[in-house]
Amino acid sequence: MSDDSAPAWRRYLRLTRDDSAGDVDEELAFHIQSAVDEYLASGMTLDAARDAARRRFGDVDRTRKTLYTLSHQRERRMERSEWLSTLKQDVVFGMRQLRKSPAFTIVAVLTLALGIGANSAIFSVVYNVLLKPLPYRNADRVVRLSQANGRDTMWSIPFGNYEAWRTQARDLAAVGATWGARNLTLTGMGDPEPVLVILASAGYWKAVSLPPLVGRYFTEDEDRFGAEPVAVLSEAMWRTRFAADPSIVGRIITISWRPTRIVGVAPAGYVMQPPRELMWMPLAPEPARLTDYKDHELTVYALLAPGVTASSAAAHLAQIDKPLAEANPHSGYDGRILAEPLVDTIVGDQRTNLYTLLGAVGLVLLIACGNIANLLLARASVRRGEIAIRGALGASRERIVRQLLVESVLLALCGALLGLFVAYVGMRFLVTGPVDIPRLQDTTLNLPVLGFTLVVAVLCSVVFGLVPALRAARMDLQQTLRDGGRDARGAVRERLRAALVIAEMCIAQVLLIGAGLLLRSSQMAQSVPPGFDTNNLLGVSVGLPSARYKESSTHQATFEQLSQAIASVPGVKTVAYAQVAPIYGRGWNWTAFREGSDTHDAGATTADMRGVSSTYFSTLGMRLIRGRAFTSADGADAPPVAIVSRGLAIKLFGSEDVVGRRISNGSAEKPQWKEIVGVADDVHGNGLREDPFPALYMPFAQFSNPSTTFLIRGSVPVTTLLPQIRRAVAGVDPLLPLARVRTFQEAIDRLQAVPRFNTWLLGLLGLTGLVLAVVGVYGVISYFVTQRSHEIGVRLALGASGSAVRKLIVRQGLVLAGAGIAVGIPLALVATRLLQSMMFGISARDPLTYGAVAAILGIVAVAASYIPARRATRIDPLEALRHS
Amino acid sequence: MARAHDVLQGTLDLIVLKALSWGPMHGFGLSRWIQHTTDDVLQVEEGSLYPALYRMENRGWIKADWALTENGRRAKYYKLTAAGRRQLVAESASWDAVSGAIAKIMVARRPA
Repeated sequence: MSDDSAPAWRRYLRLTRDDSAGDVDEELAFHIQSAVDEYLASGMTLDAARDAARRRFGDVDRTRKTLYTLSHQRERRMERSEWLSTLKQDVVFGMRQLRKSPAFTIVAVLTLALGIGANSAIFSVVYNVLLKPLPYRNADRVVRLSQANGRDTMWSIPFGNYEAWRTQARDLAAVGATWGARNLTLTGMGDPEPVLVILASAGYWKAVSLPPLVGRYFTEDEDRFGAEPVAVLSEAMWRTRFAADPSIVGRIITISWRPTRIVGVAPAGYVMQPPRELMWMPLAPEPARLTDYKDHELTVYALLAPGVTASSAAAHLAQIDKPLAEANPHSGYDGRILAEPLVDTIVGDQRTNLYTLLGAVGLVLLIACGNIANLLLARASVRRGEIAIRGALGASRERIVRQLLVESVLLALCGALLGLFVAYVGMRFLVTGPVDIPRLQDTTLNLPVLGFTLVVAVLCSVVFGLVPALRAARMDLQQTLRDGGRDARGAVRERLRAALVIAEMCIAQVLLIGAGLLLRSSQMAQSVPPGFDTNNLLGVSVGLPSARYKESSTHQATFEQLSQAIASVPGVKTVAYAQVAPIYGRGWNWTAFREGSDTHDAGATTADMRGVSSTYFSTLGMRLIRGRAFTSADGADAPPVAIVSRGLAIKLFGSEDVVGRRISNGSAEKPQWKEIVGVADDVHGNGLREDPFPALYMPFAQFSNPSTTFLIRGSVPVTTLLPQIRRAVAGVDPLLPLARVRTFQEAIDRLQAVPRFNTWLLGLLGLTGLVLAVVGVYGVISYFVTQRSHEIGVRLALGASGSAVRKLIVRQGLVLAGAGIAVGIPLALVATRLLQSMMFGISARDPLTYGAVAAILGIVAVAASYIPARRATRIDPLEALRHS
Repeated sequence: MARAHDVLQGTLDLIVLKALSWGPMHGFGLSRWIQHTTDDVLQVEEGSLYPALYRMENRGWIKADWALTENGRRAKYYKLTAAGRRQLVAESASWDAVSGAIAKIMVARRPA
């Protein structure tokens, strides 16, 4: 049997499907047969003819194989193009269907877009601020070290301890420290201007490590007392102030009237939040400071050696500290060291805020998904008739399902596209939030997040579009056509939709209650009196450069001069000055011991100390409850005196009269005693939400400092006096720049900025959730009316009034809302416990807020039901009855 | 009789297109037509004719249909498509250019 004729059974295959292999065989067989016939006709025998034909052909099998491959290729290509053309049909049809019901399409697309966009925007912020790893080398091993003091953690480390750690710690790969951010004067580039300078040790750049943008960082030699001053610029400073000069390295500038050489530029990763224009200069501690174990000045960073845990490193450092603490007691330090991962110290207090927002956005996404589900389910019901007809006309089940799937995907894609836009806009808006949130400004749209939310939304669309599609495709065509397309078994589905809407109302309620609680917290915080009069009060910082003001006696004298110069400006009511102004910052930590107390007992309190001028209390409008304010008699050589805050007085002396009593710093070798001459009111120096810190005030002359903040009260709007104030200062010393010029009202507002931002956002999200939930209610009630139109028609025919019908419908809406509220209240009680830390002045169970939100939900539910209710009254009873 | 030369590779497409321009043919007929028309000078290697036909069909130059021969047998007939016609024009022009160039070389005189 020759193998070049197609086996006969192959022919039957062609009845069921294309058989390309068989075709090839048949074609080759035909060719060989024809050749054989030709040779036979020329007189050969059959065998000879066959041989000749095959020889003439060549390698039949190899050709056969090639042809198989080629024809498979062709088949695949044809299948692909057919698939594509049916897909195109489905897409075109799908778009037409979507266009035919614009309300559904618009609502669905908007809902998806809101869900996707809001989620992506906020998660991008959360990721950038909280989750993104810090850019530093070995960032997971960088910690910030602080000394603990019972409850109050003191962050700063004295020079002496730092030096001890630096030289003795074995399990730290690098230790560095920074000191303060102070304004020094830059001259020689136009007018003298203030620059923000941070002093950093050479080790800082090794602990918190990023390669320099240009040049290099400090060497150990440059970090020595008495070395030539050098500076490292921040990237922002280099670009704006120095125009990104490529030859910046080696350039000499004048800081505090000393020539300072720029050695490098640090990349933007070193500055997490504004102000970004600053420079670093070497710490270069004086030898005398290196034995100071008392004054907590330095922020210390360390890079843990590989394999070392933070807690074990902290324990080792505590051991190094032990002999130092024993030799220098009363520094307020209880012997524990805390080593915290750097990322926690930077963003730690933003965590609750941001995760709450994230949770809220997730809830909004849930509501959005619920609405999409509802919409798609409703639509599926409505289209049962159409699908039945298509099935009856011969569409295969796969085809119908595929077409419905394409529609769902189209919907999801439109929503996703719009969502991208919403995400971008939302993110740009969020980035303009308060500057105190570190890394906020650098937020970019996080692609993985966008992808995730896209996938979630698409999945939701597809699943809820597919489920009814599958059900529809399986249905009994005859029965459906007979029903006229109406959904006889829709009761279950309707309950599902109602349940979805109730859940949505529930979630919206939780969101709104959260927002409401935060709003009331903000109000409560605003109404806390700060303890001094913030009206029309201006703060201006001035720093005296050590080059020209070497003696500390000149500090006080100069500030007095400046004070008088400013006071002589017409429109200025009173002027005072203080080392650190309230709200601007905290003073020095000073542990106060009452006279006669054992140095180790609880009769000690850490106080917030600052030096103030004699006009301080009167300028700030602070009450002196007892005793007197400082006078010019309380000079540098006079007996040391102090004024305490009411809180400090109570803590140290209880209810006794404190005027005339003495307090000390508790030190054995260098005791400092102060006599209390007055008691002042408490001040919320750290913000309206914090309890006032026990404060200790000293006459400026007795606690002199080269930098100070002037407090200027005006009888006219004080910002208008600024030019004259500048002139007055210049009159005393033309080379003194003014820094941190702002009114106290602004300063307090800035403290409120973050909570206000949170409230705003949560409120926005709550509102969005509410709108979506209301749309859901409207949809369900609307559908309810359509489904019940027969029953309503009967009622109307039997004489029911329009208002009775309306009441019936609206009652349905209220039932939904009521169920949502009932289920939502316990949920809200649980959820708001998470917000406890963000609340101020009210409890998480504030009945006013809960009541208000419930009322709002009820009202909007009624409003949403009203439109379908009116539609119900306009049902023509005859039509309705006819469609039974 | 001189030995039949094997058809040059690049010209097979051109030959097939031209042959089919006279009307549909099946593979066997095509092979014999070429032999006959060139007076036995050119002979198609039949093992490469069919792959060429399939490739040209994949590229849309020719179309295949099953039909009955005069003898009542089923055979696959190949037909030129519109795209095939355009391809034929293009390849003819190209062939003219090439053959003209070679002719020039053959009569050229030795360079001085």
